[in-house]
Amino acid sequence: MKNSFDEKILEEANDWIEANQKVVLATVIQTWGSSPRQVGSRMIVNEKGDFSGSVSGGCVESAVVRECMGLIKDNKPCKKIEFKVSNESAWEVGLACGGEISVYLEQII
Amino acid sequence: MKHSQLKEIIKKKASKIEFAIVTNLENGLSEIYEPNKLLSKDFDIHKNQIENFFKLKKNGVIENTEIFVETYIRPIKVIIVGAVHIAQYLVDFAKSLNFEISIIDPRGYFASEQRFPDMKIINKWPEEAFKEIETNENSALIALTHDPKIDDPALQHALNKKFYYIGALGSKKTHENRCQRLKESGFDNEQINSIHGPIGIKLGGRSAPEIALSIIAQLVSETYKK
Repeated sequence: MKNSFDEKILEEANDWIEANQKVVLATVIQTWGSSPRQVGSRMIVNEKGDFSGSVSGGCVESAVVRECMGLIKDNKPCKKIEFKVSNESAWEVGLACGGEISVYLEQII
Repeated sequence: MKHSQLKEIIKKKASKIEFAIVTNLENGLSEIYEPNKLLSKDFDIHKNQIENFFKLKKNGVIENTEIFVETYIRPIKVIIVGAVHIAQYLVDFAKSLNFEISIIDPRGYFASEQRFPDMKIINKWPEEAFKEIETNENSALIALTHDPKIDDPALQHALNKKFYYIGALGSKKTHENRCQRLKESGFDNEQINSIHGPIGIKLGGRSAPEIALSIIAQLVSETYKK
């Protein structure tokens, strides 16, 4: 039987909006290989860079925050970004686990 | 996504309706899908695949398209019998899991709202209480009173309705006696052995939150076994 997890991220997004914050919703839409979070996992980011929830095990969240803040700044409705495995020797953003994920960002308007 | 749509999604989640959100990843348009509801032209051409995702309770991008489907399923009903200390921690742990909890306890001083704020508490004997809750093989029972007067009727109801998870608190001796009583009431060995007793996975802890943790771990594990 399936039982969906429910992290109440959408509810939190609503609270943020009602507190007059700008919110971008980031959702894992595809995964390949061993990725830490399943499809449908979410995080939210506001214009100040505060965030809640997750799309990975902490590997790419900082980049997602940056992208989301950019989306708000440029006033764009949505964007799709992909993350691949990171180079171990560099401090670049990527998934140390060897997986790949695709994340969809959308501004709540 | 529009704020009005976000609010509608939250409302549907709260009323335990099964639905899906369909999103066009190219242009950002999204809609709420429900069986027998008309979709706009953009999404209607993918109706069969959307229905398929919905039936399989699956999230993902429809192959060779830019359409993302996210399904929302009804939470699993978990009935706790006994508004005891352990139940308070169970309610806490279950908050971040998709379980819909109801508590049954005929003893008013246990089943108070002050002890369980925002919870569905049925202050009746199990036979009466179960008339108010629709249950089936996708329901779970956690019996915590270890009082045969209260637990036994609930266990009998759960066995008859073939709940996928039935657990009962109590020592090995208490459980042996319980099994004997159920046998005398006409339940067969297979039914009786399906009860998890003593309840919970072996964690080693004996405090109320530790027992609650071991119960919720067993419940989640049994949910995915099904």
